[in-house]
Amino acid sequence: MNVEKLRKDFPVLEKRINGKPIIYFDNACMSLRPKQVVDASNEYYFEYPGCAGRSAHEFGTKVTEKYDEARKEISKFIGARKKEEVVFTRNTTEGLNLVFNSLDLKKDDIIITADKEHNSVLVPIQVLKERKGVKHQIIFSKNDQFDLQKFQDSMNKQVKLVAMAHSTNLDGTTIPDKEIIKIAHDFGALVMFDAAQSVPHKEINVKNMDVDFLAFSGHKMLGPSGTGVLYGKYELLEQLNTFMVGGDTVLFTTYDSHAFLKPPEKFEAGLQNYAGAIGLAEAARYLDKVGRKNIEKHEEELNSIITDELSGIKELHLIGPKDPKLRGGIFSFFIEGMNVHEVALMLNNMNNVMIRSGQHCVHSWFRAHQLEGSDRVSLYLYNTKEELEIFVKTLREIMKLR
Amino acid sequence: MVICIIALVVFGIMGIFSAKYRQLAKEAFRCVFRMVQLKPCDTGFDQRIKSKLTTKLMKLPPVARFFYKNFKLISWTFTIVFFASMIYSLYGIYNLIAFGNCEPGSGSVCVISSGTNQLAGLVGLLTCYEAYIVYGIIIFVIIALLVVKYLNGKFEKKK
Repeated sequence: MNVEKLRKDFPVLEKRINGKPIIYFDNACMSLRPKQVVDASNEYYFEYPGCAGRSAHEFGTKVTEKYDEARKEISKFIGARKKEEVVFTRNTTEGLNLVFNSLDLKKDDIIITADKEHNSVLVPIQVLKERKGVKHQIIFSKNDQFDLQKFQDSMNKQVKLVAMAHSTNLDGTTIPDKEIIKIAHDFGALVMFDAAQSVPHKEINVKNMDVDFLAFSGHKMLGPSGTGVLYGKYELLEQLNTFMVGGDTVLFTTYDSHAFLKPPEKFEAGLQNYAGAIGLAEAARYLDKVGRKNIEKHEEELNSIITDELSGIKELHLIGPKDPKLRGGIFSFFIEGMNVHEVALMLNNMNNVMIRSGQHCVHSWFRAHQLEGSDRVSLYLYNTKEELEIFVKTLREIMKLR
Repeated sequence: MVICIIALVVFGIMGIFSAKYRQLAKEAFRCVFRMVQLKPCDTGFDQRIKSKLTTKLMKLPPVARFFYKNFKLISWTFTIVFFASMIYSLYGIYNLIAFGNCEPGSGSVCVISSGTNQLAGLVGLLTCYEAYIVYGIIIFVIIALLVVKYLNGKFEKKK
Protein backbone atom coordinates (compact mmCIF):
# COMPACT_ATOMS: atom_id res chain seq x y z
CA MET A 1 0.00 0.00 0.00
CA ASN A 2 1.60 3.23 -1.17
CA VAL A 3 0.25 5.85 1.23
CA GLU A 4 2.03 8.79 -0.40
CA LYS A 5 0.55 7.86 -3.77
CA LEU A 6 -2.99 7.40 -2.53
CA ARG A 7 -2.86 10.66 -0.56
CA LYS A 8 -2.76 12.42 -3.92
CA ASP A 9 -6.33 11.19 -4.48
CA PHE A 10 -7.50 13.33 -1.55
CA PRO A 11 -7.30 16.98 -2.65
CA VAL A 12 -8.19 18.26 0.82
CA LEU A 13 -4.92 16.89 2.16
CA GLU A 14 -3.09 19.50 0.07
CA LYS A 15 -4.89 22.25 1.97
CA ARG A 16 -2.84 24.47 4.27
CA ILE A 17 -4.23 26.30 7.30
CA ASN A 18 -1.98 29.04 8.65
CA GLY A 19 0.76 27.69 6.41
CA LYS A 20 0.67 24.23 7.95
CA PRO A 21 -0.72 21.00 6.49
CA ILE A 22 -3.83 19.49 7.98
CA ILE A 23 -3.60 16.29 10.00
CA TYR A 24 -6.95 14.58 9.96
CA PHE A 25 -7.49 12.04 12.73
CA ASP A 26 -11.29 12.13 13.00
CA ASN A 27 -12.04 9.30 10.64
CA ALA A 28 -14.34 7.44 13.01
CA CYS A 29 -16.69 10.38 12.62
CA MET A 30 -16.25 11.23 8.97
CA SER A 31 -13.65 10.12 6.43
CA LEU A 32 -12.19 12.28 3.70
CA ARG A 33 -13.20 11.58 0.12
CA PRO A 34 -10.98 10.74 -2.83
CA LYS A 35 -11.62 12.65 -6.04
CA GLN A 36 -12.82 9.44 -7.70
CA VAL A 37 -15.82 9.40 -5.36
CA VAL A 38 -16.58 13.08 -5.85
CA ASP A 39 -16.27 12.66 -9.63
CA ALA A 40 -18.61 9.64 -9.63
CA SER A 41 -21.26 11.58 -7.69
CA ASN A 42 -20.81 14.65 -9.88
CA GLU A 43 -21.18 12.53 -13.00
CA TYR A 44 -24.78 11.88 -11.99
CA TYR A 45 -25.51 15.60 -11.72
CA PHE A 46 -23.68 16.48 -14.92
CA GLU A 47 -24.56 13.54 -17.16
CA TYR A 48 -27.84 11.85 -16.20
CA PRO A 49 -29.67 13.73 -13.44
CA GLY A 50 -32.91 11.77 -13.65
CA CYS A 51 -34.85 9.50 -11.31
CA ALA A 52 -34.42 5.75 -11.22
CA GLY A 53 -37.08 3.08 -11.69
CA ARG A 54 -39.76 5.41 -13.01
CA SER A 55 -39.02 7.41 -16.11
CA ALA A 56 -38.38 5.66 -19.43
CA HIS A 57 -36.33 8.49 -20.97
CA GLU A 58 -32.58 8.50 -21.51
CA PHE A 59 -31.67 9.97 -18.12
CA GLY A 60 -34.13 7.71 -16.30
CA THR A 61 -32.75 4.59 -17.98
CA LYS A 62 -29.16 5.55 -17.31
CA VAL A 63 -29.66 6.36 -13.63
CA THR A 64 -31.67 3.14 -13.13
CA GLU A 65 -28.76 1.22 -14.58
CA LYS A 66 -26.17 3.07 -12.48
CA TYR A 67 -28.21 2.75 -9.26
CA ASP A 68 -28.56 -0.97 -9.86
CA GLU A 69 -24.82 -1.24 -10.52
CA ALA A 70 -24.16 0.58 -7.24
CA ARG A 71 -26.32 -1.91 -5.36
CA LYS A 72 -24.47 -4.78 -7.03
CA GLU A 73 -21.11 -3.24 -6.13
CA ILE A 74 -22.07 -2.84 -2.48
CA SER A 75 -23.40 -6.40 -2.27
CA LYS A 76 -20.07 -7.62 -3.66
CA PHE A 77 -18.21 -5.37 -1.18
CA ILE A 78 -19.82 -7.04 1.84
CA GLY A 79 -20.17 -10.51 0.35
CA ALA A 80 -23.97 -10.57 0.22
CA ARG A 81 -25.74 -13.42 -1.55
CA LYS A 82 -27.59 -11.08 -3.90
CA LYS A 83 -27.93 -7.39 -4.56
CA GLU A 84 -31.51 -7.34 -3.30
CA GLU A 85 -30.15 -7.83 0.20
CA VAL A 86 -28.76 -4.30 0.09
CA VAL A 87 -31.08 -1.48 1.18
CA PHE A 88 -29.80 2.05 0.68
CA THR A 89 -30.32 4.31 3.67
CA ARG A 90 -29.14 7.73 4.79
CA ASN A 91 -26.75 6.35 7.39
CA THR A 92 -26.20 3.57 9.92
CA THR A 93 -28.75 5.06 12.32
CA GLU A 94 -31.50 4.83 9.75
CA GLY A 95 -30.62 1.22 8.94
CA LEU A 96 -30.70 0.26 12.62
CA ASN A 97 -33.96 2.12 13.21
CA LEU A 98 -35.51 0.40 10.23
CA VAL A 99 -34.89 -3.02 11.77
CA PHE A 100 -35.80 -2.04 15.34
CA ASN A 101 -39.10 -0.59 14.15
CA SER A 102 -39.95 -3.21 11.55
CA LEU A 103 -39.32 -6.36 13.56
CA ASP A 104 -42.40 -7.79 15.20
CA LEU A 105 -41.20 -7.28 18.78
CA LYS A 106 -43.67 -7.79 21.60
CA LYS A 107 -43.88 -7.04 25.30
CA ASP A 108 -41.23 -8.89 27.35
CA ASP A 109 -39.16 -9.81 24.30
CA ILE A 110 -35.52 -9.26 25.16
CA ILE A 111 -32.93 -7.32 23.18
CA ILE A 112 -29.32 -7.86 24.19
CA THR A 113 -26.57 -5.29 23.62
CA ALA A 114 -23.02 -4.74 24.84
CA ASP A 115 -22.08 -1.90 27.19
CA LYS A 116 -20.27 0.33 24.69
CA GLU A 117 -23.16 0.96 22.36
CA HIS A 118 -23.54 4.08 20.28
CA ASN A 119 -26.75 6.02 20.87
CA SER A 120 -27.96 4.73 17.49
CA VAL A 121 -28.38 1.32 19.07
CA LEU A 122 -29.21 2.35 22.60
CA VAL A 123 -31.86 5.01 22.05
CA PRO A 124 -34.14 3.05 19.66
CA ILE A 125 -34.15 0.21 22.21
CA GLN A 126 -35.03 2.60 25.02
CA VAL A 127 -37.89 3.92 22.90
CA LEU A 128 -39.06 0.35 22.21
CA LYS A 129 -38.95 -0.28 25.95
CA GLU A 130 -41.28 2.65 26.53
CA ARG A 131 -43.61 1.96 23.62
CA LYS A 132 -43.79 -1.82 23.43
CA GLY A 133 -42.51 -3.00 26.79
CA VAL A 134 -39.55 -4.93 25.40
CA LYS A 135 -36.71 -5.68 27.80
CA HIS A 136 -33.13 -4.58 27.38
CA GLN A 137 -30.23 -6.57 28.72
CA ILE A 138 -26.65 -5.31 28.70
CA ILE A 139 -23.53 -7.46 28.63
CA PHE A 140 -20.83 -5.58 30.54
CA SER A 141 -17.25 -5.88 29.35
CA LYS A 142 -14.59 -7.81 31.18
CA ASN A 143 -11.07 -6.39 30.97
CA ASP A 144 -12.29 -3.91 28.36
CA GLN A 145 -13.42 -6.71 26.06
CA PHE A 146 -16.68 -8.43 25.28
CA ASP A 147 -17.56 -11.08 27.87
CA LEU A 148 -18.62 -14.01 25.74
CA GLN A 149 -19.26 -16.25 28.72
CA LYS A 150 -21.63 -13.76 30.29
CA PHE A 151 -23.37 -13.40 26.95
CA GLN A 152 -23.83 -17.15 26.65
CA ASP A 153 -25.18 -17.31 30.19
CA SER A 154 -27.65 -14.51 29.42
CA MET A 155 -29.12 -16.13 26.34
CA ASN A 156 -32.56 -17.73 26.50
CA LYS A 157 -35.57 -18.26 24.25
CA GLN A 158 -37.03 -14.90 25.23
CA VAL A 159 -34.13 -13.09 23.54
CA LYS A 160 -35.37 -12.04 20.11
CA LEU A 161 -32.59 -9.76 18.99
CA VAL A 162 -28.91 -9.25 19.67
CA ALA A 163 -27.93 -5.77 18.52
CA MET A 164 -24.34 -4.64 18.94
CA ALA A 165 -21.60 -2.46 17.58
CA HIS A 166 -19.33 -4.73 15.57
CA SER A 167 -16.39 -2.43 16.36
CA THR A 168 -17.00 0.35 18.84
CA ASN A 169 -16.23 3.96 18.12
CA LEU A 170 -15.32 4.38 21.77
CA ASP A 171 -12.12 2.34 21.85
CA GLY A 172 -12.01 0.41 18.57
CA THR A 173 -12.53 -3.03 20.08
CA THR A 174 -14.31 -5.63 17.94
CA ILE A 175 -16.67 -8.20 19.36
CA PRO A 176 -16.23 -11.93 18.62
CA ASP A 177 -18.79 -11.86 15.81
CA LYS A 178 -18.96 -15.49 14.71
CA GLU A 179 -19.24 -16.82 18.26
CA ILE A 180 -21.96 -14.32 19.17
CA ILE A 181 -23.94 -15.13 16.04
CA LYS A 182 -23.69 -18.87 16.61
CA ILE A 183 -24.84 -18.63 20.23
CA ALA A 184 -27.69 -16.26 19.32
CA HIS A 185 -28.88 -18.46 16.46
CA ASP A 186 -28.81 -21.52 18.71
CA PHE A 187 -31.42 -19.76 20.83
CA GLY A 188 -33.40 -18.58 17.82
CA ALA A 189 -32.45 -14.92 18.18
CA LEU A 190 -31.63 -12.62 15.32
CA VAL A 191 -28.36 -10.70 15.20
CA MET A 192 -27.86 -7.17 13.96
CA PHE A 193 -24.48 -5.44 13.88
CA ASP A 194 -23.80 -1.72 13.80
CA ALA A 195 -20.85 -2.02 11.44
CA ALA A 196 -20.19 1.70 10.97
CA GLN A 197 -16.70 1.31 12.42
CA SER A 198 -15.84 -2.08 10.97
CA VAL A 199 -16.92 -2.14 7.32
CA PRO A 200 -14.61 0.78 6.35
CA HIS A 201 -11.60 -0.83 8.00
CA LYS A 202 -11.94 -4.61 7.82
CA GLU A 203 -12.89 -7.21 5.28
CA ILE A 204 -16.46 -8.20 6.05
CA ASN A 205 -18.26 -11.11 4.47
CA VAL A 206 -21.84 -11.23 5.66
CA LYS A 207 -22.44 -14.64 4.13
CA ASN A 208 -19.52 -16.27 5.97
CA MET A 209 -20.32 -14.38 9.13
CA ASP A 210 -23.98 -15.44 8.93
CA VAL A 211 -25.17 -12.16 10.42
CA ASP A 212 -28.87 -11.39 9.92
CA PHE A 213 -28.69 -7.61 9.63
CA LEU A 214 -25.75 -5.27 9.27
CA ALA A 215 -25.84 -1.50 8.94
CA PHE A 216 -23.08 0.91 7.96
CA SER A 217 -22.53 4.45 6.70
CA GLY A 218 -21.01 5.74 3.51
CA HIS A 219 -19.40 8.82 5.01
CA LYS A 220 -17.05 6.78 7.19
CA MET A 221 -15.78 4.72 4.23
CA LEU A 222 -14.79 7.49 1.79
CA GLY A 223 -18.35 7.75 0.49
CA PRO A 224 -20.63 10.78 0.22
CA SER A 225 -22.46 12.19 3.25
CA GLY A 226 -26.03 11.07 3.69
CA THR A 227 -25.42 7.57 2.41
CA GLY A 228 -25.69 4.28 4.23
CA VAL A 229 -26.57 0.65 3.79
CA LEU A 230 -28.65 -1.90 5.58
CA TYR A 231 -27.83 -5.47 4.71
CA GLY A 232 -30.41 -8.11 5.60
CA LYS A 233 -30.83 -11.76 4.70
CA TYR A 234 -33.39 -11.69 1.93
CA GLU A 235 -35.91 -13.98 3.62
CA LEU A 236 -35.76 -11.77 6.72
CA LEU A 237 -36.18 -8.58 4.72
CA GLU A 238 -39.28 -10.13 3.14
CA GLN A 239 -40.73 -10.80 6.59
CA LEU A 240 -39.97 -7.35 8.01
CA ASN A 241 -42.76 -4.83 8.29
CA THR A 242 -42.36 -1.65 6.32
CA PHE A 243 -40.76 1.37 8.00
CA MET A 244 -41.20 4.44 5.83
CA VAL A 245 -43.78 4.07 3.11
CA GLY A 246 -44.92 6.08 0.12
CA GLY A 247 -43.60 6.63 -3.37
CA ASP A 248 -41.58 3.79 -4.87
CA THR A 249 -42.38 1.32 -2.07
CA VAL A 250 -45.58 0.11 -3.71
CA LEU A 251 -46.52 -1.83 -6.81
CA PHE A 252 -49.88 -0.12 -7.00
CA THR A 253 -52.50 1.57 -4.86
CA THR A 254 -56.27 1.95 -4.97
CA TYR A 255 -58.22 4.45 -2.87
CA ASP A 256 -58.39 1.94 -0.04
CA SER A 257 -55.55 -0.55 -0.59
CA HIS A 258 -51.96 -0.97 -1.70
CA ALA A 259 -49.50 -3.69 -2.64
CA PHE A 260 -45.91 -3.36 -1.55
CA LEU A 261 -42.93 -4.05 -3.76
CA LYS A 262 -40.42 -6.70 -2.77
CA PRO A 263 -37.26 -5.80 -0.83
CA PRO A 264 -35.18 -3.73 -1.14
CA GLU A 265 -37.62 -1.34 -2.86
CA LYS A 266 -40.27 -1.68 -0.18
CA PHE A 267 -37.84 -0.04 2.25
CA GLU A 268 -36.62 2.75 -0.01
CA ALA A 269 -39.39 5.30 0.18
CA GLY A 270 -39.36 8.34 -2.06
CA LEU A 271 -36.71 9.50 -4.47
CA GLN A 272 -33.34 8.21 -3.43
CA ASN A 273 -29.92 9.80 -3.12
CA TYR A 274 -28.75 8.47 -6.49
CA ALA A 275 -25.60 10.57 -6.64
CA GLY A 276 -24.76 9.38 -3.12
CA ALA A 277 -25.32 5.69 -3.92
CA ILE A 278 -23.21 5.95 -7.08
CA GLY A 279 -20.46 7.71 -5.11
CA LEU A 280 -20.70 5.09 -2.37
CA ALA A 281 -20.21 2.31 -4.91
CA GLU A 282 -17.12 4.13 -6.16
CA ALA A 283 -15.83 4.35 -2.57
CA ALA A 284 -16.33 0.58 -2.23
CA ARG A 285 -14.40 0.03 -5.45
CA TYR A 286 -11.64 2.31 -4.19
CA LEU A 287 -11.36 0.46 -0.87
CA ASP A 288 -11.33 -2.90 -2.62
CA LYS A 289 -8.57 -1.68 -4.90
CA VAL A 290 -6.43 -0.62 -1.94
CA GLY A 291 -7.43 -3.75 -0.03
CA ARG A 292 -9.10 -3.64 3.36
CA LYS A 293 -6.56 -6.10 4.78
CA ASN A 294 -3.84 -3.60 3.88
CA ILE A 295 -5.82 -0.79 5.46
CA GLU A 296 -6.34 -2.76 8.65
CA LYS A 297 -2.62 -3.60 8.84
CA HIS A 298 -1.66 0.03 8.18
CA GLU A 299 -3.96 1.31 10.93
CA GLU A 300 -2.63 -1.25 13.39
CA GLU A 301 0.93 -0.22 12.63
CA LEU A 302 0.12 3.44 13.18
CA ASN A 303 -1.81 2.69 16.35
CA SER A 304 1.17 0.71 17.68
CA ILE A 305 3.37 3.76 17.15
CA ILE A 306 1.07 6.09 19.12
CA THR A 307 0.62 3.48 21.83
CA ASP A 308 4.38 2.98 22.17
CA GLU A 309 5.02 6.72 22.25
CA LEU A 310 2.31 7.66 24.72
CA SER A 311 1.46 4.67 26.87
CA GLY A 312 4.38 5.30 29.23
CA ILE A 313 3.00 8.66 30.33
CA LYS A 314 1.48 8.29 33.78
CA GLU A 315 -1.04 11.11 33.41
CA LEU A 316 -2.37 9.84 30.09
CA HIS A 317 -5.12 7.28 30.47
CA LEU A 318 -5.94 5.06 27.57
CA ILE A 319 -9.52 3.89 27.08
CA GLY A 320 -9.77 0.27 26.02
CA PRO A 321 -7.28 -2.57 25.96
CA LYS A 322 -3.56 -1.78 26.02
CA ASP A 323 -2.79 -3.94 23.00
CA PRO A 324 -3.17 -1.69 19.92
CA LYS A 325 -4.06 -4.70 17.77
CA LEU A 326 -7.32 -4.97 19.71
CA ARG A 327 -8.19 -1.33 19.05
CA GLY A 328 -7.91 -1.18 15.23
CA GLY A 329 -7.31 2.43 14.27
CA ILE A 330 -8.59 4.04 17.45
CA PHE A 331 -6.59 5.61 20.26
CA SER A 332 -8.94 7.07 22.83
CA PHE A 333 -7.47 8.79 25.87
CA PHE A 334 -7.76 11.50 28.47
CA ILE A 335 -5.15 13.45 30.39
CA GLU A 336 -5.48 13.84 34.10
CA GLY A 337 -6.22 17.44 35.06
CA MET A 338 -6.94 18.61 31.53
CA ASN A 339 -10.24 19.18 29.81
CA VAL A 340 -10.64 16.90 26.79
CA HIS A 341 -12.13 19.66 24.61
CA GLU A 342 -9.32 22.06 25.44
CA VAL A 343 -6.72 19.45 24.50
CA ALA A 344 -8.45 18.87 21.15
CA LEU A 345 -8.76 22.61 20.50
CA MET A 346 -5.10 23.24 21.26
CA LEU A 347 -4.02 20.37 18.99
CA ASN A 348 -6.05 22.00 16.26
CA ASN A 349 -4.83 25.54 16.98
CA MET A 350 -1.17 24.61 17.22
CA ASN A 351 -0.67 22.22 14.34
CA ASN A 352 -4.03 21.60 12.63
CA VAL A 353 -4.31 18.18 14.27
CA MET A 354 -8.01 17.35 14.04
CA ILE A 355 -9.26 14.86 16.59
CA ARG A 356 -12.62 14.32 18.26
CA SER A 357 -13.25 15.13 21.89
CA GLY A 358 -16.25 14.37 24.06
CA GLN A 359 -18.35 11.30 24.67
CA HIS A 360 -18.60 10.17 21.05
CA CYS A 361 -22.33 9.34 21.30
CA VAL A 362 -21.54 6.72 23.93
CA HIS A 363 -22.73 8.88 26.83
CA SER A 364 -24.01 5.86 28.71
CA TRP A 365 -20.56 4.33 29.05
CA PHE A 366 -18.89 7.59 30.10
CA ARG A 367 -21.59 8.37 32.63
CA ALA A 368 -21.38 4.89 34.09
CA HIS A 369 -17.61 5.30 34.42
CA GLN A 370 -17.94 8.89 35.71
CA LEU A 371 -15.69 10.25 33.01
CA GLU A 372 -16.06 13.64 31.36
CA GLY A 373 -15.12 12.24 27.95
CA SER A 374 -12.07 11.40 25.92
CA ASP A 375 -9.89 12.63 23.11
CA ARG A 376 -10.09 10.22 20.23
CA VAL A 377 -7.58 9.72 17.46
CA SER A 378 -9.08 7.62 14.68
CA LEU A 379 -6.86 6.63 11.80
CA TYR A 380 -7.41 5.68 8.20
CA LEU A 381 -5.57 4.67 5.08
CA TYR A 382 -4.16 8.13 4.25
CA ASN A 383 -2.61 8.83 7.66
CA THR A 384 1.17 8.69 7.95
CA LYS A 385 3.89 8.16 10.54
CA GLU A 386 5.03 11.75 10.02
CA GLU A 387 1.58 12.98 11.00
CA LEU A 388 1.72 10.86 14.13
CA GLU A 389 5.09 12.36 15.05
CA ILE A 390 3.60 15.86 14.86
CA PHE A 391 0.62 14.76 16.93
CA VAL A 392 2.78 13.17 19.62
CA LYS A 393 5.13 16.18 19.75
CA THR A 394 2.23 18.64 20.01
CA LEU A 395 0.46 16.58 22.65
CA ARG A 396 3.63 16.45 24.72
CA GLU A 397 3.88 20.25 24.55
CA ILE A 398 0.25 20.57 25.63
CA MET A 399 0.82 18.21 28.52
CA LYS A 400 3.49 20.56 29.86
CA LEU A 401 0.66 22.97 30.68
CA ARG A 402 -0.60 20.67 33.42
CA MET B 1 -16.95 31.12 32.31
CA VAL B 2 -16.79 34.70 33.62
CA ILE B 3 -14.64 35.57 30.61
CA CYS B 4 -17.89 35.38 28.65
CA ILE B 5 -19.10 38.57 30.37
CA ILE B 6 -16.15 40.59 29.06
CA ALA B 7 -16.43 38.81 25.72
CA LEU B 8 -20.10 39.78 25.53
CA VAL B 9 -19.31 43.46 26.04
CA VAL B 10 -16.27 43.51 23.76
CA PHE B 11 -17.83 41.47 20.96
CA GLY B 12 -21.11 43.33 21.43
CA ILE B 13 -19.36 46.63 20.74
CA MET B 14 -17.33 45.13 17.90
CA GLY B 15 -20.52 43.63 16.53
CA ILE B 16 -21.90 47.12 15.91
CA PHE B 17 -19.23 47.60 13.28
CA SER B 18 -18.73 44.10 11.92
CA ALA B 19 -21.14 41.19 11.43
CA LYS B 20 -18.50 38.56 12.12
CA TYR B 21 -18.32 39.60 15.78
CA ARG B 22 -22.10 39.43 16.17
CA GLN B 23 -22.02 35.64 16.11
CA LEU B 24 -19.34 35.65 18.81
CA ALA B 25 -21.39 38.13 20.83
CA LYS B 26 -24.42 35.85 20.51
CA GLU B 27 -22.39 32.89 21.76
CA ALA B 28 -21.06 34.95 24.65
CA PHE B 29 -24.59 36.05 25.46
CA ARG B 30 -25.81 32.46 25.54
CA CYS B 31 -22.97 31.62 27.87
CA VAL B 32 -23.74 34.57 30.19
CA PHE B 33 -27.46 33.76 30.09
CA ARG B 34 -26.76 30.22 31.26
CA MET B 35 -24.36 31.55 33.87
CA VAL B 36 -27.02 33.73 35.48
CA GLN B 37 -29.25 30.66 35.60
CA LEU B 38 -26.41 28.94 37.49
CA LYS B 39 -25.96 26.48 34.65
CA PRO B 40 -22.59 25.65 33.05
CA CYS B 41 -21.78 27.23 29.71
CA ASP B 42 -22.58 24.60 27.08
CA THR B 43 -21.36 26.35 23.96
CA GLY B 44 -17.68 25.65 24.55
CA PHE B 45 -17.09 29.35 24.01
CA ASP B 46 -14.99 29.79 27.15
CA GLN B 47 -12.94 26.70 26.26
CA ARG B 48 -12.32 28.07 22.78
CA ILE B 49 -11.11 31.39 24.15
CA LYS B 50 -8.92 29.71 26.74
CA SER B 51 -7.42 27.30 24.20
CA LYS B 52 -6.84 29.98 21.59
CA LEU B 53 -5.13 32.34 24.01
CA THR B 54 -3.06 29.55 25.57
CA THR B 55 -1.93 28.48 22.11
CA LYS B 56 -0.81 32.04 21.37
CA LEU B 57 1.21 32.04 24.56
CA MET B 58 2.86 28.70 23.87
CA LYS B 59 5.99 30.49 22.61
CA LEU B 60 6.56 31.38 26.26
CA PRO B 61 5.81 28.07 28.00
CA PRO B 62 5.92 29.33 31.62
CA VAL B 63 3.51 32.15 30.75
CA ALA B 64 1.24 29.76 28.86
CA ARG B 65 1.29 27.34 31.76
CA PHE B 66 0.49 30.12 34.26
CA PHE B 67 -2.32 31.38 32.03
CA TYR B 68 -3.77 27.89 31.47
CA LYS B 69 -3.66 26.91 35.13
CA ASN B 70 -4.97 30.25 36.42
CA PHE B 71 -7.43 31.04 33.68
CA LYS B 72 -10.37 31.20 36.06
CA LEU B 73 -8.57 33.55 38.42
CA ILE B 74 -7.38 35.74 35.54
CA SER B 75 -10.92 35.82 34.15
CA TRP B 76 -12.34 36.88 37.51
CA THR B 77 -9.67 39.57 37.91
CA PHE B 78 -10.40 41.01 34.49
CA THR B 79 -14.12 40.90 35.14
CA ILE B 80 -13.88 42.66 38.52
CA VAL B 81 -11.52 45.33 37.12
CA PHE B 82 -13.86 45.77 34.18
CA PHE B 83 -16.93 46.30 36.37
CA ALA B 84 -15.06 48.52 38.84
CA SER B 85 -13.83 50.82 36.07
CA MET B 86 -17.31 50.85 34.56
CA ILE B 87 -18.89 51.89 37.87
CA TYR B 88 -16.27 54.66 38.39
CA SER B 89 -16.82 55.84 34.83
CA LEU B 90 -20.58 56.02 35.29
CA TYR B 91 -20.06 57.88 38.56
CA GLY B 92 -17.76 60.32 36.78
CA ILE B 93 -20.23 60.84 33.94
CA TYR B 94 -23.02 61.45 36.45
CA ASN B 95 -20.89 64.10 38.21
CA LEU B 96 -20.04 65.67 34.88
CA ILE B 97 -23.71 65.98 33.96
CA ALA B 98 -24.88 67.04 37.43
CA PHE B 99 -22.03 69.29 38.55
CA GLY B 100 -20.04 70.05 35.40
CA ASN B 101 -16.94 68.21 36.68
CA CYS B 102 -16.11 64.56 37.09
CA GLU B 103 -14.85 65.11 40.62
CA PRO B 104 -16.73 68.09 42.09
CA GLY B 105 -15.00 67.93 45.47
CA SER B 106 -11.58 68.18 43.92
CA GLY B 107 -9.89 71.39 42.91
CA SER B 108 -8.26 69.76 39.90
CA VAL B 109 -9.69 69.94 36.42
CA CYS B 110 -11.11 66.86 34.79
CA VAL B 111 -10.02 65.74 31.35
CA ILE B 112 -13.62 65.40 30.30
CA SER B 113 -14.70 68.58 32.03
CA SER B 114 -17.57 70.42 30.43
CA GLY B 115 -15.70 73.64 31.14
CA THR B 116 -13.97 75.62 28.48
CA ASN B 117 -10.37 74.86 29.49
CA GLN B 118 -10.00 71.42 27.85
CA LEU B 119 -6.25 71.80 27.50
CA ALA B 120 -5.93 72.49 31.21
CA GLY B 121 -7.89 69.33 31.83
CA LEU B 122 -5.39 67.34 29.80
CA VAL B 123 -2.42 68.96 31.57
CA GLY B 124 -3.99 68.44 34.94
CA LEU B 125 -5.06 64.86 34.37
CA LEU B 126 -2.51 63.41 36.79
CA THR B 127 -4.54 64.80 39.64
CA CYS B 128 -7.95 63.69 38.37
CA TYR B 129 -8.95 60.09 38.95
CA GLU B 130 -11.72 60.18 36.35
CA ALA B 131 -9.06 60.85 33.78
CA TYR B 132 -7.33 57.66 34.85
CA ILE B 133 -10.59 55.85 34.29
CA VAL B 134 -11.00 57.32 30.83
CA TYR B 135 -7.45 56.34 29.96
CA GLY B 136 -8.06 52.94 31.54
CA ILE B 137 -11.06 52.41 29.32
CA ILE B 138 -9.09 53.47 26.25
CA ILE B 139 -6.31 51.04 27.16
CA PHE B 140 -8.88 48.32 27.84
CA VAL B 141 -10.50 48.87 24.44
CA ILE B 142 -7.08 48.76 22.75
CA ILE B 143 -6.23 45.51 24.55
CA ALA B 144 -9.64 44.11 23.69
CA LEU B 145 -9.10 44.99 20.05
CA LEU B 146 -5.73 43.26 20.10
CA VAL B 147 -7.30 40.19 21.68
CA VAL B 148 -10.02 40.18 19.06
CA LYS B 149 -7.42 40.45 16.34
CA TYR B 150 -5.48 37.59 17.89
CA LEU B 151 -8.64 35.50 18.14
CA ASN B 152 -9.30 35.95 14.48
CA GLY B 153 -5.79 35.08 13.47
CA LYS B 154 -5.10 38.54 12.07
CA PHE B 155 -1.50 38.30 13.07
CA GLU B 156 -0.92 35.02 11.33
CA LYS B 157 1.37 35.32 8.39
CA LYS B 158 -0.24 34.34 5.14
CA LYS B 159 1.98 31.80 3.46
